[in-house]
Amino acid sequence: MRDPYLFVFAQVHEDFRVPEILSIAELNGFTIAFSESPDPSRPFMVLELEDEQHARILARRCILIKAIYEYYGRGSTYEELHEANKGKRHLWSRYIKNTSFKFNVTAHNHTVPQWRQREVVESFSYMDFQGEIDMKNPDIILGCFEEYPSRSGTTREKHEGDGDFIQVWFGRLIEDGSARPLVKKFDVKKRLYYGNTSMEAEMSLLMANQSLASPGKLIYDPFVGTGSMAYTTAYFGAQFFGSDIDGRQMRGKEKQPGIIRAAAQYGVSSRILDLCTFDVTHDPWRCGELFDAIITDPPYGVRAGAKRLGRKKYRPDLPRSSPASIDDQPYIPPTKPYELAELAKDLVLLGRYLLKPGGRLVFFLPTVTDEYQEVDVHTMLCEGMEVIANSLQDFGSWGRRLVTVRKTTAETYPAPSFDAGISMASRAVDGVEEGTSHVPAHQDFRRKYFEGFRKTGESDK
Amino acid sequence: MVRLITHNLLACHVKGCNTNNFPLQFQDVQIELREADFNADFLRGFLPKIEWNALVDAARQLGDTSLPQEQPTMIDDDFLKALHHVLLEIHVEEGAMVCPNCKHVYPIASGIPNMLLAEHEIG
Repeated sequence: MRDPYLFVFAQVHEDFRVPEILSIAELNGFTIAFSESPDPSRPFMVLELEDEQHARILARRCILIKAIYEYYGRGSTYEELHEANKGKRHLWSRYIKNTSFKFNVTAHNHTVPQWRQREVVESFSYMDFQGEIDMKNPDIILGCFEEYPSRSGTTREKHEGDGDFIQVWFGRLIEDGSARPLVKKFDVKKRLYYGNTSMEAEMSLLMANQSLASPGKLIYDPFVGTGSMAYTTAYFGAQFFGSDIDGRQMRGKEKQPGIIRAAAQYGVSSRILDLCTFDVTHDPWRCGELFDAIITDPPYGVRAGAKRLGRKKYRPDLPRSSPASIDDQPYIPPTKPYELAELAKDLVLLGRYLLKPGGRLVFFLPTVTDEYQEVDVHTMLCEGMEVIANSLQDFGSWGRRLVTVRKTTAETYPAPSFDAGISMASRAVDGVEEGTSHVPAHQDFRRKYFEGFRKTGESDK
Repeated sequence: MVRLITHNLLACHVKGCNTNNFPLQFQDVQIELREADFNADFLRGFLPKIEWNALVDAARQLGDTSLPQEQPTMIDDDFLKALHHVLLEIHVEEGAMVCPNCKHVYPIASGIPNMLLAEHEIG
């Protein structure tokens, strides 16, 4: 038996809301039913759960949930709302006697004037609640939300348009979301160690939730950088392993590595299992199927270009570099650029090798907004790896997509060869015909970024 | 850092170095002991991935003899506690890991091992 609940979301990252609640439901072994297809652009959704406890679990872990209510009704007018609410009498009749209560009347994209808030509360008088009104510690809180269209960019009088809402929603508060304050706790500016490529706190939390981080799990970031995802996954109880081709990013300037110092600030340093310097295309793993999740923000070339070991061109005139060449300096081998489309494909193959069956690969992929097509994400897939979420963070002419891939196969695969240029045809998947000439919108991203995303054909004048 | 759990997962990956390239041998190490959260499920889940002889040898090389030479078939709490300590609480802070086959030296500084290869080693 499922009951409807009213979810109130924070007004950010709308594309990430549904993947986040589905991930946390999966992590806790329950499901969410959608009685109607959700409109992600709106901050209110009615979703069905089997148990009130499930709503509490979601409210305590999901970064984007503001609150969850027992759903009593909605309407495009108050008449419609009251009609719906009267039909839910069996849900609220038990609060009529001996229950102190409080009404909250608020609006989205609007402020309801005081006098009308009172009017709205009085319009619910047919519920005939006989308990005390208690503004400080009520037994129950009833919430009434008027949803207005966005009017940003226009000027208007303070209460202009009051009452012209799209929809009004009503319910009883189950639990306020308590995970959102983590965004402040993990604020990069208050962190002891960070760099110019550090991931903002809210995204690193959303990524940790997509990775199903929890106690007993082992999670790996192969481009760990300054460790943004280490802190959030470890905070949720997982053991974390990080590697990077550039050890300086992990260390910082002090003797104790920067990532360890920042982890200690959050009380999670014992769960940073280890940090290692190596190139992901020449990795020293003894075997595969080690990790429950791989979580990473690959360097896509704007502030930090991706590099791998090797030289751009073979230079017979140069002496071969060798680790023993200079005694007092750490050896730094030559590196060459690593094209994003190649890197993304390799990352999926690496995930298939290193993840346990059912494990998740969670990573960001930048794309050019005008050129993006649904098929782009599929060009990098391989057998046994399936996209389960793809959320856009929109920056206008470009954006980045948080892609969540699940390893659906229980078969053991070898380590990827990392040979750039394996023919696209050998990786053909559903929807991509062999020999297709479609170029994904993340290919050559760095060049497009610095050219300002001009359309093909536009030239310098 | 460089806990024995990590040491147990890393093999020499120099091109062509495919036999006798695991486990890497510790050299000139400085060790620190630091407490870690005990999680029995994590240990049980990880146990099948462990190369037991390599773990026992590495622990003994670092002066810890709490693990039996043969992996026990009965997994009880005492065993898990010993395994927890060896895998997660012994940290090699300085020193190096050396490949028993090709003798490549992977240095460890401030707990971070440098597993990068030189140009001629990646082929």
